[in-house]
Amino acid sequence: MFHKILIANRGEIALRVLRACRELGIPTVAVHSTADSDAMHVRLADESVCIGPPPSRDSYLNIHQIVAACEITGADAIHPGYGFLSENAKFADILEAHKITFIGPTADHIRIMGDKIEAKRTAKRLGIPVVPGSEGGVSDEAEAARICADIGYPVIIKATAGGGGRGMKVARNEEELAMALATARSEAGAAFGNSEVYIEKYLQKPRHIEVQIMGDGAGKAVHLGERDCSLQRRHQKIWEEANSPALNAEEREKIGMICARAVAGLGYRGAGTIEFLYENGEFYFIEMNTRLQVEHTITEAITGIDLVHEQIRIASGGGLSMSQEDIKFSGHAIECRINAEDPRTFVPSPGKITHYHTPGGLGIRIDSGVYAGYKIPPYYDSMIGKLIVHGRNRVECMMRLRRALDEFVVDGIKSTLPLFRDLVGNPDIANGDYDIHWLEKYLAEKDAAEGIANV
Amino acid sequence: MAAKNSGIDQALIRDLAGILNETDLTEIEVEQGELRIRVSRQGTQMMAAPQMYAAPAQSAPMQSVSATPAAATVPNVNNVPSPMVGTVYFSAAPGAAPFIEVGTKVKEGQTILIIEAMKTMNQIPAPRSGTVTAILVEDAQPVEYGEPLIVIE
Repeated sequence: MFHKILIANRGEIALRVLRACRELGIPTVAVHSTADSDAMHVRLADESVCIGPPPSRDSYLNIHQIVAACEITGADAIHPGYGFLSENAKFADILEAHKITFIGPTADHIRIMGDKIEAKRTAKRLGIPVVPGSEGGVSDEAEAARICADIGYPVIIKATAGGGGRGMKVARNEEELAMALATARSEAGAAFGNSEVYIEKYLQKPRHIEVQIMGDGAGKAVHLGERDCSLQRRHQKIWEEANSPALNAEEREKIGMICARAVAGLGYRGAGTIEFLYENGEFYFIEMNTRLQVEHTITEAITGIDLVHEQIRIASGGGLSMSQEDIKFSGHAIECRINAEDPRTFVPSPGKITHYHTPGGLGIRIDSGVYAGYKIPPYYDSMIGKLIVHGRNRVECMMRLRRALDEFVVDGIKSTLPLFRDLVGNPDIANGDYDIHWLEKYLAEKDAAEGIANV
Repeated sequence: MAAKNSGIDQALIRDLAGILNETDLTEIEVEQGELRIRVSRQGTQMMAAPQMYAAPAQSAPMQSVSATPAAATVPNVNNVPSPMVGTVYFSAAPGAAPFIEVGTKVKEGQTILIIEAMKTMNQIPAPRSGTVTAILVEDAQPVEYGEPLIVIE
C-alpha cells in the first residue's frame, strides 16, 4: 500500500479522495493555490503545500510544482481527482519517470481515449457499439456526401481535436452538408489549431447513458452498472441517476458486460466510464473517460462499493476486490450538482457563504468542501457541492430528494438549488421521460413564458 | 515578522511616513551610512518586487497590496517569497560557501539561494538590491510557493 498520497485537486473531490485515504490509513498531502489556503481539503489534510498563484495553469495544472510537492513531502502516489491533470497523459508519463504512482490508467490508455478518432476505432475493435460515420477525418466534400448518403441524414460534423460542443455542426440534408463541413472545419481550426473533422449519424432525441467500469490492468474487469446523465445544460451534466429509468435489467446486463469485456481486453487499469448515446434501444459510443467522474457517487450508492478505495487498491497492485458476481444493485440514487450560479441565468455567483445548512437523514449524502463563512473564489469551477440521495426504489428516492432539497440552505450567494426544487416536481422528471435536450428546451420555454432574456 | 528587525530607528520611519502623508508623495528614500530606508505607499512595491505580487496584481488589479487585509499573508514587504515548491540550499554544493549571510549586500539578479525541484537546481535571484537582514529558512528545508525565504532591506 502507499506510504503517502498527494491529492492533486481542490474542492469537493479533493475532500472525497482525502476521506478514502483516511479510511485506508494513508496520510495525505493537499496541494493548493494561494486562493485556496483556507479550503476544507487543506484544513483536513495531514500536510499541505502551496503550489502557486490562483490561476489553474500556474497551480493545479502546474506539473513541475506538483511533482516538487511530492518530493518535499515524500508522497509516493498522486490521486488526480477529475478535471485538471486527471486525463493528462504527459503528467502520467512524468510521474512514472519520477517513480511516483499515478492513481489512474496508463499514459497510453489516456492518450488513446483522449483522441476521438482513435478512441472510436479502439472501441469498435473491442466490440463496443459506435455511432455509424466516417472511419476517420474527412476533408473531401464528395467523400462526405457519399458517407452521409450511406448512414442517412441528419449527420453531425465534429472536430477531431474538439470537445465541449465547439467545432460541431449538424446537416439535415445534402444541401446543408457543404456549408456545415466548411463551418465546422474553420471553427475547429480556430479553436483547436487542427481543422480535421469527422462525420457521424446525428441522433435526434438520445439519452446520455454511461457505464462505470473498473479494471485491474492485467486483463480482469467488472462493470458497476450505468448512470443516466441526460439532464444537461450546455453539455454540462446537472442531475444524474443510477440506474437509468430507461433500461431494464436485461439491457443493463448486456451493455455492462460488453463494456467489462472490452476494458478487460484492453488491459485497462483503474476506474473508467464508457459514455453512450442511447436511442430506440441502441447504444452508440461517444467517448471513454479515463478517470473518476463527478457522478461516481450514485454508483457507490446503489452498489455499496467505494470507487476511490478501489482505485487506490488497484493502483497499489492489490487488484480488484470483487468479481462481477459480487456486484449487486440496490435501489435507486440521484445526484444533483449544486453550483454557485444564478438558477435561471446560470451566471456564476462567487462570494461568501453566510449561512449553510445541509440536509441529513437516511439515504442522504453531501459531498462538498464549503462551510458557513467560506468565500468561493472566482477562479475555478462553480460547483460547490453534490447532493446524493438513495432510496429503495425511484419513487422513494424522488420523495427523499424533494425533502432534502427543502432542507438545504445556502445563503449569501446564488445557487442552483431552486432549479432542482422545480425539477423534482416536474411530471416528465417524475416519469423519467427526458432526453439530452429536455432541460435546455424546458428552460427556454420557461424563460420565454416569463419574459426572461437569457444569453 | 517585522519585530525581528530590532536595530532599526522606528522614530525615523514614523517621521518619514508622516512626511510622505503630508506631501502626498508616493515614495521617500534616505541613506545614512550603512542604513538605507525607503518608505513608499501602495502600488510602488509592486514594481520593486514584481515576482512577489504578480498574481494578486493580475487577479485584482484595482486592489492596493498594502492597504488590504490580504497583506496579512505577506506580512513584510521586504520578504522574498519562494517562487516555487522545492528544497532550499544555501550553497551551490555541499560544503561550499553560502551565497548569502545576514548582512550580505546583494544586487538585483544575484543568486541568493538554490531551490531544488524535480532534480533541477534552480538559482533564485535577488528580486531587488539591498542588504540581507534575515534568513527565514534553513538549509535543506522544504518550502512551498510564496513562503518567505529571506528579508532584503
